[in-house]
Amino acid sequence: MGMLEIRDLSISYGQHRAVEKASLRVAKGEIVVILGANGAGKSSILRAAAGLLPAMPGSSFEMNGRDITNCPPDEFVEAGIALVPEDRAIFAELTVQENLKLGAYPKRARKKAPDNLARVLALFPRLAERPRQRVQTMSGGEQQMVAIGRAMMSAPAILLLDEPSLGLSPLLCSELFRSLARIRSTEIGILLVEQNAKRALAIADRGYVLENGCVTASDRSEVLSSDERVRKAYLGSDGSSINLR
Amino acid sequence: MDILIGGFLLGGTYALMALGLQLQYGVARIMNLANGEMLVAGAFGAFWFYSGFQMRPFLAIVLIVPLAFVVNWAIYHYLLTPLVRRAKSRGQLEVDGILATFGMSFILVGLMLAVFGGEYFSYSYLERAVFVLEQPYGLNRIAAFCASLVFCIALVVWLSHTRSGLALRAVAVNPTAAGLVAIKVARTSAIAFAIGGAVTASGGALLSMFLTFDASIGVIFTLKALIIVILGGVGEIRGTVAAAFLLGLAETAVASLVDPGLTLAAAYLLFIVVLLVRPRGLFGSRS
Repeated sequence: MGMLEIRDLSISYGQHRAVEKASLRVAKGEIVVILGANGAGKSSILRAAAGLLPAMPGSSFEMNGRDITNCPPDEFVEAGIALVPEDRAIFAELTVQENLKLGAYPKRARKKAPDNLARVLALFPRLAERPRQRVQTMSGGEQQMVAIGRAMMSAPAILLLDEPSLGLSPLLCSELFRSLARIRSTEIGILLVEQNAKRALAIADRGYVLENGCVTASDRSEVLSSDERVRKAYLGSDGSSINLR
Repeated sequence: MDILIGGFLLGGTYALMALGLQLQYGVARIMNLANGEMLVAGAFGAFWFYSGFQMRPFLAIVLIVPLAFVVNWAIYHYLLTPLVRRAKSRGQLEVDGILATFGMSFILVGLMLAVFGGEYFSYSYLERAVFVLEQPYGLNRIAAFCASLVFCIALVVWLSHTRSGLALRAVAVNPTAAGLVAIKVARTSAIAFAIGGAVTASGGALLSMFLTFDASIGVIFTLKALIIVILGGVGEIRGTVAAAFLLGLAETAVASLVDPGLTLAAAYLLFIVVLLVRPRGLFGSRS
């Protein structure tokens, strides 16, 4: 069915509690956005959901009903979760082709690699033009394509994206959001952390509002967009400009 | 001309031992200062099989390589994994690794002294002269060079054209990202360290065919391997091979044109010049 269920997730860094009992759910074919100010714990949730950060006792991750709490990162990937972190985590010294090939390293992805590659190259034609280019010599937007493309090569059921539009020009940003809609149409679920709240809510199906590590609201994105508090905090009161309080 | 050929022959074996260190440092991030001792152990292995069982060195390598793989895997698993777990950053792991393997090199020297004693060892195998461009070269040198070349090429092809080789390079480039594509980083590091040790040991076995060695000569080869790896650029396989040939040529040139006692000094001079001019190595990528 393709469903990630995060229950009562708590994360701390030493004494500092970054996330407090957050529960989130993403199903296949939907885009879910996490809204919140800087330092609210958005990135921590995504990193924990990829197995990169240890969760506190009591937290649980389920993928299609299977418990993967406390598994190493490679088992999160094998379960169908792929993360594109904020720093993109690409293999900068390797070529585009090698990055995509590594994306298909998980066992779940090996057989489907040719199909997935065709899908990724259809989504990002620019990657097809320069398979042998080293990724570190590419522009920020192209590197983001490599990062997302590599994540999609692992045949994920759920894609976790941390600030994918960061550092992109407005034009590339629009292109990125169109790509996300196309990825959703291939039955992949997307959990999105995005500074551009207005754009994110426009494309998302549902959203969560995170304040100081706690989920304080969760609803359909139309409802969140018209919510007075959300408008004030993340969309600017008149809804026309982006304002990070 | 004979300097060129002599340097080339030497460079081939240097390339092999430096590739071993490159794998250990590039992938597992262990700057293995006991690398030279592993090389000497390989040399002793070849010597022991030859003098005890009349086994040809090329046959002995078939036994030495898997043996060295197992020993190095055990070293990584039991001695170095606690350091890897404890290290908060790659930098800290490098420092801890240098200290731990430095200590380990003394243990290995001591073990080899205890088993084989302190005298010099050599054996004669394929000690015939072969004429290349009317200059005589030992057949054993040429055979060792050819074998090194075959190993180097096999290693480079494996690293650049197979899935498992690509996984190794992925861990070298970005361990976090490697975890995100379901590569088992800890296991891959252990395997890279073990393969690196096995490659170095095979280099030692080949060197022993034409070199007189003793239990405590390892440190010189550690230094040479270190120079080659830094010279070629960390993580640069082709750079390592090129730097090895460069060092072989420089040493041979200095030994025959100036004074044989100055070879190590010449190596260091080359090293310092490159570090000053190209701090990331001859082929190191600038990012």
